[in-house]
Amino acid sequence: MAALTNIISKNLTVKPVQALLLFLLLVILLIIPMISGMTTITLFSRIFILAIFGMSYDILRGFTGIINLGHALFFGGATYIAGILFNRVGPTLDVLLLAIITAFVLSAIIAYIMGQFAFRGTGFSGVIACAMITLAFGEIVRHTAETLRDYTQGADGLTFRIPEMFQDRFMMYYYALIFLIVMTIVLRQFVRSPTGRVLQAIRDNEQRARFLGYDTKKYKLIALVVAGMASASAGIMFALLTRFANTELLTVQSTLNALLYTIVGGTGTLYGAIIGTGFVQIAQNSLLELRGIHEIFSRWLIFFGAIYVLVVLYMPKGIIGAFYQLHASWQKRKKHG
Amino acid sequence: MSETLIETKNLTINFGGLKAVNKVSISIHKGLFTTIIGPNGAGKTTLFNLISGLLQPTEGTVIFKGTDITRLSPMQRVAMGIGRSFQLTNVFPTLTVHENIRLALQAKNRTGYRIFTSYKRFRSLEEAATKLLEDVLLHDRGNFLAGSLNHGEQRKLELAMVLALKPDVLLLDEPTAGMALEEVPTMLELLEKTKKEQDNTILLIEHKMDLVTKLSDTVIVLVNGSVLTRGTAAEVSEDPEVLKAYLGGGILNETTA
Repeated sequence: MAALTNIISKNLTVKPVQALLLFLLLVILLIIPMISGMTTITLFSRIFILAIFGMSYDILRGFTGIINLGHALFFGGATYIAGILFNRVGPTLDVLLLAIITAFVLSAIIAYIMGQFAFRGTGFSGVIACAMITLAFGEIVRHTAETLRDYTQGADGLTFRIPEMFQDRFMMYYYALIFLIVMTIVLRQFVRSPTGRVLQAIRDNEQRARFLGYDTKKYKLIALVVAGMASASAGIMFALLTRFANTELLTVQSTLNALLYTIVGGTGTLYGAIIGTGFVQIAQNSLLELRGIHEIFSRWLIFFGAIYVLVVLYMPKGIIGAFYQLHASWQKRKKHG
Repeated sequence: MSETLIETKNLTINFGGLKAVNKVSISIHKGLFTTIIGPNGAGKTTLFNLISGLLQPTEGTVIFKGTDITRLSPMQRVAMGIGRSFQLTNVFPTLTVHENIRLALQAKNRTGYRIFTSYKRFRSLEEAATKLLEDVLLHDRGNFLAGSLNHGEQRKLELAMVLALKPDVLLLDEPTAGMALEEVPTMLELLEKTKKEQDNTILLIEHKMDLVTKLSDTVIVLVNGSVLTRGTAAEVSEDPEVLKAYLGGGILNETTA
């Protein structure tokens, strides 16, 4: 175990204590399906996948300071691409590979075009313009999906079969977990790269970044392309999990969910999106279950709203921010005896 | 006379009916320390904005090292060798002081497009950032967030960031503005060191006349968007036209104008 902790510590550049905690977390996550029912297994698989969607949004909102209201188009679009290809060509692994390549290429191209329009301005007016233009892109894709009924079944939603390998819910949990780990490492590496640091500089002060010689528009395009592709990868996994796509995946509400995951967990932290997704999904599920206990819980959205308000009021930097604050005050108290 | 680095020809910008900079033609020579002075609203910062590319002129041209750069973006001008600081402190507040400098060095070294290599792999940049922090006396502040520094320290940090770019010309917009009086001598020392050690071409906007006198080879006086006169600090401070421009004169003999 010490050797494994050492490997995690070295490769992920984390402290040994953190590596040990990560290792324990990994063990717990590996055990969960063996001791839980199918509902929990599916809930966790869903969290793992949506967390990537949340993290991809954090690259934009938390690390670069971009408000993208059409981000769901990458996620939902990829789910549709997988669904349509499985239906039209067949539910095989080859088709899955084709779906992944198609989703990646299309999301990179759309992100590039979207960015060319959205990143024309700078400063506050630039942020608003970006939000509006990305909203328009998102709506175009949603409307297109609703209109192309032959392919998407419109508002009824598209059901499809998936490759046999992913049909077992138990195994799907592990695939989703591996996917989460791999994507977390990839995205972490991205935000810790020289490019990632420039994105944070842009978020802090775009004018200064430009006057250091950085072509900020190009960097924002890179952020959008990477976030779009990460979001698309989550969309493909989501297709394998739910075997269903509907236009709700493409709505602004879907984008706002990703935003909420990052706000609740802590923006600009990457991991915050994982914690936020877990918190939101589990809270949502628990409130739904309480419906049986008392009628009031059938209005679960009221409680859900209240939780959001409390988080924003008392944990403005999200759960991770609150944790760091507690840790800092604990250290301070320890220092002063 | 040394080689001309920056030249403006009839540089003019209108904001509605106001000519903030009006037919300004100046030459900045290599290796010299040139200071622009003038009353508030004279157009000094606007002139900086035109030279650095933040604003586009209504008329006139900016020539840098013999090339017309009037239509180039700020990024292109930085790449050509123009570095600038701002009147209002301009750093990356939620990043550490060390990271602020490292980002400037990274911009110079053009390693910004490395997407999946950890930034910590670029050891030489880390070391160079530490060295620059020592140069501007911020070595004990490296791990602080830039936003948590006091105003004077932030100004030093911004100077270090501009120095990291190793520009051919430094445009420094009131580096002592808003500084506590006791901090000004340190900044003066840093500016003197910058001038001497690196043989830099510096274009400074400054109000504090004692600083201007100590540092400048040439002083350009800007009034109402136009160049009133140009000369040594001693010459301009005795020029009756300059004294008149500064609210009836005499004020240039004070510590701060």
